[in-house]
Amino acid sequence: MNMQEIKENLITHVKANFPEAAEKEFDGNRLDFNVDKQCIPSILTYLKDRLGYIHLSHIACVDWLEEGEFEIIFIVWSPEEKMKVFIRTRIDREKPVMPNIDMIWRQANTYERELREMFGVEFIGLEAPDEFLLEDWGGPPPMRRDFDTEAYADDTFWHRPGREDALDVREEIIRRSREEIPDFAKKYSR
Amino acid sequence: MINDKNSQKIVDIIQNWSRKHSIWVLAYGTGCGAIEIPPTMTSRYDAERLGVRGAATPRQADVLLITGYLTTKTLKRVIRVYEQMQDPKYVIGFGSCTINGGMYYDSYNTIKVLDKYLPVDVYINGCMPRPEAVLAGFGKLQQLIAEGKANGATKYKENLEWYRGNQKKIIPNWVMPEYNW
Repeated sequence: MNMQEIKENLITHVKANFPEAAEKEFDGNRLDFNVDKQCIPSILTYLKDRLGYIHLSHIACVDWLEEGEFEIIFIVWSPEEKMKVFIRTRIDREKPVMPNIDMIWRQANTYERELREMFGVEFIGLEAPDEFLLEDWGGPPPMRRDFDTEAYADDTFWHRPGREDALDVREEIIRRSREEIPDFAKKYSR
Repeated sequence: MINDKNSQKIVDIIQNWSRKHSIWVLAYGTGCGAIEIPPTMTSRYDAERLGVRGAATPRQADVLLITGYLTTKTLKRVIRVYEQMQDPKYVIGFGSCTINGGMYYDSYNTIKVLDKYLPVDVYINGCMPRPEAVLAGFGKLQQLIAEGKANGATKYKENLEWYRGNQKKIIPNWVMPEYNW
């Protein structure tokens, strides 16, 4: 089977069991499904047990601050079909609660603990009471986009004086070498 | 027992001379700077010809190298390691992250000024410092030791409360043993 047939086969199978899953195709060996958060354990179990997507590559979180939502993304991989499937779901940003999947893949525990600390996403029934990366952390979850890391660093740590009058190095280099800033790089200039 | 002042001076000179030629560095790397230590130690730059070599445990080591950024989580371990080391002991701050935060100046999880928490004898700047700079730093430390000016450990003992206060500001949940010298 070539890649297109694998994708069509996969879409038919998933749609037969999860009719509300919205698929999105990409070039190459990637396919996305947008599902509801209650479906997550069942669709992952189905992919793992029936369709051979036995490897959990990653669990990621995207902070959609303007829309007030978090997007949780599960990436699974099939070593036989050489195909990766992204399972995406949106959850509420104020009360981020997700079903726990570490009974499907034990290693999901690590990712879930990381998301709990970095984004404040709560996974129901996660067996890991202790802190993971941030010891003695008092502030809000640091990977959220409304967390101002520079203000937090100013409050918490000392700064050695002398950085305030730092030159814009790019302009200094241009002044010396008489080169033009390319247009695409201008937006990064201070 | 030597209590004559001039004799003590001679003993100090001999002590410092011998200390300066056997700097044992604790094999403990924090941050990314530890990658510059293998080239410094191996055949190209061969730091061992200056008496600089690795030590396996804190109690055998003389120098603690803070190689690069220091997260608050690692700071706890570094303080514990430093307090286990036996006199004479020296600290080298390595890379610009230990001096003023470097590229992590706005990070929520790294300290910016190392000498608020540990007494630093020599700073080596650069991001990263090349092995030549590392050797120059060790040369500077040897010079300070020979002059009897590398007294960071004494400073730490005398101002322990100030250092502890700073450390506890970062580490509120202090569960480490208190060492008394």
